[in-house]
Amino acid sequence: MEMTEPITWTCTGCALLCEDIQVHIKDNKVEKVEHACLKGKARVYGCKHTAISTVDQAEVDINSAISQAAEILEKAKNPLLYGWSNSTSEAQVAGIELAQTLGACIDSTSSFCQGITINEIMNGSIPSCTLEEVREKADVVIYWGADPMSSHPRHLSKYSYFPRGELRQRGYEEDRTAICIDVTQSRTAKICKAMFFSIPPGGDAEFMRALMDGLAGRVPKLSYDFDVKRILELAAVLKKAEFGVIFAGLGLVYSIKEEFDLILEFMSTLNRFSNFSLIPMAGHFNMRGFNHNLHEKTGFIHRVRFTKNGPVSGVEYSVVEQLKHGADAVLVVGSDPLASLPLSIARRLKDIPLILVDPCANLTTRVADVTIPCGASGIEVGGTAVRLDGKKMDISPIVQGDGLSDEMVVRRIMEEVS
Amino acid sequence: MALDVGKFIKAPEYDIKIITHRDVFQASACEEDRFGDECQEMSALIVLDAAEMKRMGIQDRANVRLTSNWGSVVVRARASPREEQKGMGFMVNSPWVNTLVSDETTDGIPAFKDIEAKITISKNGITGIQELLLL
Repeated sequence: MEMTEPITWTCTGCALLCEDIQVHIKDNKVEKVEHACLKGKARVYGCKHTAISTVDQAEVDINSAISQAAEILEKAKNPLLYGWSNSTSEAQVAGIELAQTLGACIDSTSSFCQGITINEIMNGSIPSCTLEEVREKADVVIYWGADPMSSHPRHLSKYSYFPRGELRQRGYEEDRTAICIDVTQSRTAKICKAMFFSIPPGGDAEFMRALMDGLAGRVPKLSYDFDVKRILELAAVLKKAEFGVIFAGLGLVYSIKEEFDLILEFMSTLNRFSNFSLIPMAGHFNMRGFNHNLHEKTGFIHRVRFTKNGPVSGVEYSVVEQLKHGADAVLVVGSDPLASLPLSIARRLKDIPLILVDPCANLTTRVADVTIPCGASGIEVGGTAVRLDGKKMDISPIVQGDGLSDEMVVRRIMEEVS
Repeated sequence: MALDVGKFIKAPEYDIKIITHRDVFQASACEEDRFGDECQEMSALIVLDAAEMKRMGIQDRANVRLTSNWGSVVVRARASPREEQKGMGFMVNSPWVNTLVSDETTDGIPAFKDIEAKITISKNGITGIQELLLL
């Protein structure tokens, strides 16, 4: 078989946005993918069932679907525009403009994911750094409530543990210490070996306080059974770190979300002795991009409603609260809320007019009143995205799609409602 | 004809706390085909401590019903290859476990990693993706 010249591609399989993927294209189809993880490969080869234009579950031409979507949104008193984490920044900006035009609520998956962490980083309360700095400098890395070997499979090999770095020429064998704090021995925990700290569910806040005691030279106290000597040893490792990084997973974020200031206190205590940054383990490839783009426009990172007096933000404008008792029509772009939200909440999508813009058929397309197919971001559609550490990245398409991009769909809807 | 007494006896229920997590194999299978068998097999699954399963009389690969105040699904039980904390079950993020998650939040973040449920052996088949849509 004749081998084609590979294209270097930035992967949109997760928010790590690996920019070193080699893709061979023949006759506008992906022939071979090199360097990508399983998630990246699944992303580049695409879904088996693509979405088709429908209104009331019957196939229609795309123009009719767009017109119907515009009519639904125009009639709604309280529309919600949701999703956006699998869209380019350009599509997100178009979505924000549409929300403003409609006086709608807009929210993303970050609302129940890493939004809370990203907000503190963006307002400067939590120090952060880039993945390149991690690769070149980090000597102590903590995966806390995070399992990147399962969620971001190239994280350890490309940046955080295995590579040689400018200041870490002996790599993981001698120069880096990887620590995992979790409720189960995950794939990442196995790599951390003796530096895996198994804690009970919800035990993160206590463990954090115990570590702060250890850092301050006090004897740590815990209500659950844990060898205090190990906490003191861990505190000693953290104190000695030249460049430490905490990768905060949802295990940590969900566990301490009700006392989130504790992370700020912990980082501040830690940095009296050492030099630590924190990076949120955002999942979808451009979840953080939505936060940056909305912040630029409104000063808020998510959960926004555009009112006559300007944008406002609060928990009542979150996707969860809006679906429970607020929204009377929903536009979903690049998400499958029926699969990813609690069914007790997502069920309401069956009762209100629902428009879905997505390249693939998914659970939500089965109940959508209007489905509008679009090109897959990063595969057929180019643009920009923001990596999980906040770095802006260019995304180039690798094949020519024959449909509209999600940005174009949103802008077409906007033209019809304006 | 002998009376099958067993069918009138309700299988015992046990309390369990379910923690969700991600899995690269399931994520890639579901990215390719959300309605596919592979996606279902890797999603409709709960992993438990082997000794706990023995105590509860649940065999490896048996079907179990998980019930919370918010919903109920039948999934396959698998024994963890390592010792797990008692009273805990692990499920990968998917519509199956999302059926059990409460709609009550004070901060707009559902309790995806803190799900109180009951577990019991089930003679029913695993809940299919189409059935989830009807729940």
